[in-house]
Amino acid sequence: MKLAELQSLFQSAVLTGDAEDAAILDVIAAPRDADRPTMMGVYVNAYRLRLAEFLDEDYPALRVMLGDDDFEALVEAYIDANPSRLRNARWYTTRLPEFMQESENWNANALAIGLALFERALTDAYDAADAPAHGIETLAEFSPQDWPRLGFTFHPSLRLIEVAAGVLDAYVAATADEHEDEDEEAPGSAEEDEGALDEDDIPIEDYPPYASDGETIAIWRADLDPAYRQLDPDEYLALCEAMAGQSFGDICQLVAFQNEGQSATERLAQFLVTWFSEGLVIGVAEAK
Amino acid sequence: MESLPRLGYGLGLRPVYYDEILSTRPPVDWFEIISENYMIPGGRPLVMLERFRADYPIVMHGVSMSLASTDPLDLDYLKALKALADRVEPAWVSDHLAWTGVHGRNLHDLLPIPYTREALNHVVERIGRVQDILKRRLVVENASTYVTFTQSEMPEWEFVAQMAERADCLLLLDVNNVFVSGFNHGFDNNAFIDAVPADRVAQFHMAGHTDNETHLIDTHDQPIREEVWTLYERARRRFGDVSVMIERDDNFPPFSELLGELQHMRDIDAAIAANASRSAA
Repeated sequence: MKLAELQSLFQSAVLTGDAEDAAILDVIAAPRDADRPTMMGVYVNAYRLRLAEFLDEDYPALRVMLGDDDFEALVEAYIDANPSRLRNARWYTTRLPEFMQESENWNANALAIGLALFERALTDAYDAADAPAHGIETLAEFSPQDWPRLGFTFHPSLRLIEVAAGVLDAYVAATADEHEDEDEEAPGSAEEDEGALDEDDIPIEDYPPYASDGETIAIWRADLDPAYRQLDPDEYLALCEAMAGQSFGDICQLVAFQNEGQSATERLAQFLVTWFSEGLVIGVAEAK
Repeated sequence: MESLPRLGYGLGLRPVYYDEILSTRPPVDWFEIISENYMIPGGRPLVMLERFRADYPIVMHGVSMSLASTDPLDLDYLKALKALADRVEPAWVSDHLAWTGVHGRNLHDLLPIPYTREALNHVVERIGRVQDILKRRLVVENASTYVTFTQSEMPEWEFVAQMAERADCLLLLDVNNVFVSGFNHGFDNNAFIDAVPADRVAQFHMAGHTDNETHLIDTHDQPIREEVWTLYERARRRFGDVSVMIERDDNFPPFSELLGELQHMRDIDAAIAANASRSAA
């Protein structure tokens, strides 16, 4: 048997989870003490255990929210549907939120999907590309009459997600024990989050169902650790537009539309101060 | 043949120990990283790696090269690996005599090969190409295995020895893997140690394994077992003062426990050296 054929047979047995696959057992030599299915089973079991471990590491709060049985059923379904094609295991878990959205078993659970999206963003923020942040003083390089034409570029770790209401509360509740050990000054820690809940405040069954008025969250990396903050709708809109390359002046008009009667320029200026102070802005230039 | 530096006694660099290493500057001569854990865009792992690199020699150890796969070499992976090597300037780069998948799939495991002339030709050719791409000599490790194949035409150690000579690569002798595979397949561990070409061995791995009575599994989550220390002594006598490190990847003990294992290694080596001196006198 050629090497290529042997490797196909071996891989097929691992992917199908069949340690008693006759075709591969026929070419395996007798082990010293164990039987051949037991030894082939080492590879079969290791494959699923390893992939499950990757998902465990990247979605710890989702496991807590769903409970062990449901989370493990999700993991099994994901592994069955997603044999890895990636050289680096780091990104094996990335598609879990989309898998849930596409799966009949999970697509009605908007809260779980939202939590998966949130945890994925935390993971992505952790090892996103580096870039030095600009301070607010950067604006002083431009004369005030140029400000309406200014555009901004943002840190590569910054992600915006729009999820079901209750996702942040679910995350805080699921990670409450972990947060008790963390530095209380850490960005994005439970203590800073408005409406942060104690672990027992919301029983899982009482989490709100999906609502059209969901949550909008920014996730990024601050001081090497992931941070997050819930955004008001107008800040979310402004940040989306700013990330898309819109100028300060254009965004002012959009914010004014959302908040009639307020000074859009002042409101956007507040946002900008916050974005600079959080290290989100890495470039300022006149928008094209 | 060019020889690689003798780095002394090292440990695997794992995030769980980052803070302790930075704050205590423990008596560890060098660290080995899992290359793939740092083949990422940025963030804490790369920042920490640069801090450690400033103070310690680093060796890059990969798990995804899939040297024995019949799929084409993954040139994107090799390009990223070379970029990391250019950044880290490791003492050397290593990976395994194994494959990780075919048909574009990756099982994220180190899978066994038949020890045939066909497989040998295939692996030798690929190591040569990898060395050309990385522009450095590759260090190749014997993997622990749980099955062997009926069509094998030679013992593993003969395959490894021929591979090293023909590909002109260096070897990472994983002493625990020799023990685990020897137990599982019933071969003589000493024969393996004695057959590997001494001038090709650049590094040892030591690690713990799990004993399932009928078979052993290379889990890296236990202290090094006494029988593996015995095999280590034999390897040390044969291969001299090549660099050695301990792999610990799960069930992480206090860092002091790993330092204790390193000290045990130093004590064994000191006793061997003392014996050699007495014999010479």
